[in-house]
Amino acid sequence: MPVDNALLERRNEPQHQVVKQAIQWLLRLRNNHGNSRLSRQCEQWRAEHHEHELAWQRVQSLQAELSHTLCAVPGTQVAFNTLENSAQGLSRRQALKLLSGAALIGSAAWMTKDTAAWQQWRADYATATGERRGFQLPDGTRIELNTASAVDLDYTAQQRLIKLTRGEIIVSCGGADEGSAFERPLRVESRHGTYDPQDARFILRQDGDCTRLNVTHGQVAIHTAGASVQAVAGQSYLIDDQRIRPAPVSDMDTGAWVDGLIVTRNMRLGDFLIEVGRYRQGFLNCAPAVADLRLSGVFRLEDTDKLLAILPQTLPVRLRYRTRWWVTLEQMA
Amino acid sequence: MSSPELAVHTLYSSHHGWLNAWLRTRLGNAADAADLAQDTFVRLLQRTERLELKAPRAFLRTIAKGLVIDHWRREEIERAYLQTIAHLPEAETPSAEARALVIELLESVARMLEGLRPKVRQAFLLAQCEGLTHKQIAAHMGLSLRSVERYVADALYHCYLLRYEN
Repeated sequence: MPVDNALLERRNEPQHQVVKQAIQWLLRLRNNHGNSRLSRQCEQWRAEHHEHELAWQRVQSLQAELSHTLCAVPGTQVAFNTLENSAQGLSRRQALKLLSGAALIGSAAWMTKDTAAWQQWRADYATATGERRGFQLPDGTRIELNTASAVDLDYTAQQRLIKLTRGEIIVSCGGADEGSAFERPLRVESRHGTYDPQDARFILRQDGDCTRLNVTHGQVAIHTAGASVQAVAGQSYLIDDQRIRPAPVSDMDTGAWVDGLIVTRNMRLGDFLIEVGRYRQGFLNCAPAVADLRLSGVFRLEDTDKLLAILPQTLPVRLRYRTRWWVTLEQMA
Repeated sequence: MSSPELAVHTLYSSHHGWLNAWLRTRLGNAADAADLAQDTFVRLLQRTERLELKAPRAFLRTIAKGLVIDHWRREEIERAYLQTIAHLPEAETPSAEARALVIELLESVARMLEGLRPKVRQAFLLAQCEGLTHKQIAAHMGLSLRSVERYVADALYHCYLLRYEN
């Protein structure tokens, strides 16, 4: 499954030319604010191809994120002066001390995951790797955040919007929203779609290329750019930039983490370790020879080292700790 | 143990001491050097497919350099930020906690903009931080409007590649 998704994503990547066009549209619209003819032309361009729309969404959210972040720095010119001054200082130090012609770009190119730190900062509610927390929102809605997850709240007089920016949440509707004078619909958003719940409890998990929705109570209307589906209790869907489709039966209980558990049914060891890896820092994998072994059971998430330690009791594997943050499962000799 | 991991293990035992010493001469301090040497191997484990064993020390140095730059960037931003807010009246000085958050925030922006030419970065930041129009930026920086437009677009494209195609 992960391999298929990666291929799918690569095939749908917008061409560089399209990204550049999206940037041109964004800048043109910003410099001609309120020009409705230009807005219509831009909308036409976006509708021409799903690549256009994807590039547009990304460019726009990147731009919004940057300006939102920079505006959060208090004081006039503080952000600008600090960034300019430090960039000059940094290039001076590089010239003095590293003395090499290599492209000096820091480790950003090595660690795509670093962008997670950024999202965590901006988010209203966030959890670190291995952490799980629940929050009662002022309107009575309850959200549970799984490991390495983040949401932003956008509550105004007219709406209640919860944006999942990273990871996985469970949302439980709290009924009447009594604190508000107006009727404010509750809406949840992930990178791939929006979800309008009706007296519902549901799980939303956002991965790189798609979002998985599981409805456990009530109903949730799913909307994407091109489609809408009404999901009812017991149903699961996968939502990506292209479509909404019923999710294949999962080999684990999707919401068990809220009780601190992973519950599996005949799950591949390789897939199981990817799941467990979400809850711990470092590097966890297994030898190809054991990746297809199957396991069923209930595992406690609170201490993943303990969890790993019991695997050799049920499977012909042994655990190898190269360091605290580097763990491999190998075939029993 | 599969061969990429074996390779990391061999790298670690043969070159850890050397890397530590190399970092120490750059950073001038043993504790930072030990941390960054450790980090270098953590990064390697996450990237085993890129192992290039013909020149292991050059390879380790490339990764370690990236981490040294991260470390310096952090120090430079702290320094520059404290200097920028130094003139504020005491009542407006942010708390230690607020300062730490702002520094973290600026660090992530700086990381994103790294590698841009200075003029491109300045034009982009003037648009983003100060909300200046392209015309105002052109006047401020003594550039043509066309250049400013190109610079701002280039910077956004750079951020896009870093975020989505890394």
